[in-house]
Amino acid sequence: MNLEKVIFGFFIVLAMTLNFGFFLGDIDNPNHHHVYELYAAIVVSLIATILKFGDRTQVGAVLLSTSLAADLQLISAAILWAIMDGHMDASSLTVYIVSLSGGALMANFVSVILLISETISQRR
Amino acid sequence: MDNILFLILRRLRRPLILIILSFAIAILGLTLMPGVDDKGNPWHMSVFQAFYVISYTATTIGYGEIPYAYSHAQRLWMTFSIYLTVIPWFYALGKIITLLQDTSLRHAITTERFAKSVRMLQEPFYILCSYGESASVLAKALDDKGMRVVVVESLRERLYELELTDTRNVIPSLCADAKLPDTLVHAGVHHPLCSGVVTLTDNDQVNLAVAVAVKTMNPDLPVLARAERDDIAANMASFGTDHIINPYVLFGDQLAVRVHAIGTYILHEWLTDVPGDTLPPPECPPVGKWIVCGYGRFGKSVVKNLEREQITTTIVEAMPDLTGCENCIVGSGTEAKTLIEAGVHNAVGIVAGTDNDINNLSIVMTAYELNPKLFVIVRKNKRHNNALFKQFNADITMHPHDIIAHECLAHMISPLLAQFLALARNHSNAWANALVSQLVSVVGEAVPETWVVTINNKNAPAVTSLIQQNRSVTLMHLTQDPADRRNYLPAVPLMLLRNNEPWLVPAGSTTLQEGDKILFCGKPLAKSIQPKVLNMQKDLLYIIDGIELPDSLVWRWLKS
Repeated sequence: MNLEKVIFGFFIVLAMTLNFGFFLGDIDNPNHHHVYELYAAIVVSLIATILKFGDRTQVGAVLLSTSLAADLQLISAAILWAIMDGHMDASSLTVYIVSLSGGALMANFVSVILLISETISQRR
Repeated sequence: MDNILFLILRRLRRPLILIILSFAIAILGLTLMPGVDDKGNPWHMSVFQAFYVISYTATTIGYGEIPYAYSHAQRLWMTFSIYLTVIPWFYALGKIITLLQDTSLRHAITTERFAKSVRMLQEPFYILCSYGESASVLAKALDDKGMRVVVVESLRERLYELELTDTRNVIPSLCADAKLPDTLVHAGVHHPLCSGVVTLTDNDQVNLAVAVAVKTMNPDLPVLARAERDDIAANMASFGTDHIINPYVLFGDQLAVRVHAIGTYILHEWLTDVPGDTLPPPECPPVGKWIVCGYGRFGKSVVKNLEREQITTTIVEAMPDLTGCENCIVGSGTEAKTLIEAGVHNAVGIVAGTDNDINNLSIVMTAYELNPKLFVIVRKNKRHNNALFKQFNADITMHPHDIIAHECLAHMISPLLAQFLALARNHSNAWANALVSQLVSVVGEAVPETWVVTINNKNAPAVTSLIQQNRSVTLMHLTQDPADRRNYLPAVPLMLLRNNEPWLVPAGSTTLQEGDKILFCGKPLAKSIQPKVLNMQKDLLYIIDGIELPDSLVWRWLKS
């Protein structure tokens, strides 16, 4: 067992689960989507991105790009929230934010699938 | 460039993760701390506000307590956050700065930049695998002729010199070992526009390695290599090196040409010099008894060539055992006694050919005092001694590095020019003198441009289409002015190559055929005007018939 691989896998899976946790719930109900969950998802997603830096394999490159896609959508959601909070109807704002996080969830999902497929293809 | 980016990212992984973690903790804590707003209501900072506050705190900008004055709990957390975030921030900055100063990374970046600038070259270029004395002269001459050059040199000091030189075009340069195939690849050996590799280092082994590497990677690429030892030269030749230059043999040849055929010598110097320069009238060495000081490789070549011209020589050599000199006067030649012993009083000339500039100057000065009528040939080894040699003003100052550069230029400007010069050496001095005076009367005293015209569909469409119509186009037509056919362009055809059969100085009435290659020499003006005659059928027909053809359909119809 390799500690580096454990940490790597942990952050990638955690990024997806946190994202999923935030996404879960009625799409227009602000009470179902907590700000700290989005916050945690962004932090973990950023760390996962940095962990993927410097891997020159083809799989490594695709992993990095999925992470960048997830970061982009999560950060857009956070910026939208920070700017529009109080300026528009809470439930419609929540719809925008949650749908963005849903996009990020897809990217994270692809990332996890890649991780699993790579793990399975390794013979040992 | 991708590799470098990934290298940076990988090394920065730890500091970046540290920053994210410390920021995450500080922001989270700040949003949880209870505060009071300006109206006394309980208030919690939003995530966005906390991110803003921590960002300016961690980077030590510090705008103060925004938006309301903080509560004790918030201040306590801020104090903790300052220590938590500022330290990783500076750690990361330090890491980035260390990384940028990392020699291996900087080397990777400069190599990549060099390779990129070579890849971007859009014109034919030559690779010089050194920037020593001869290569720097060569680089300057090529640059003056508007040709692109790429330099690879292993000594950084020499590249500083290149960076300080004023050049017309940017010369990409790299400090690297030219022996390594990777370096040659970066320098553009596989580039489709690379027109040749020149390796002129003073180390035969390096030149051999470069020649072999280039011929292995790209066999069609012409290679000019310097070789002093015969076995190395033979080895290079076996690998198909196109031109092997031995500076000592070359120098002796040049001296011999100078002694017996001054006209041929002027022709050679004139055609291979930098365009625009004027040549000083050269001196012709007298025939009689000569003293040669120094019997190294240089001296041996001089003696051999002088003796071939029926000139008797007396050799002065400090170490006769080492140089294999049997019949010579022992001494360095710098003192009067040795020179008198060698018969300086009844000699007509002296050659100071040691590899030490100061000794050479000392020899010729002493000899000059003893016999002021002497013809003096002095060898100059280092360019930085220029001022000393200028002051002495010998009859002939020979600089081996200049000679090498000239020889390379003759091959590089065009293979036809080198062929022409080689053939010219077989002709008499009178022939060369006549040609020089003819050239001077047409193109003037300044060093002319030389260029090659190939008669084919691609390079001279107007000429080939007329030939296909069975019209006869003569060589003279190509030297007429398309603006007024009574005037002639300042250009002279030096050689015509037809079916690999060279004709020296062909007559103007020669009828051209497809596939002919013509070597012209003339003023830059002629070189820029001539393509008009070659490409525009209208201009060519005007020159031949004296009739201006109308351009447009309507006018043609009206005329017919």
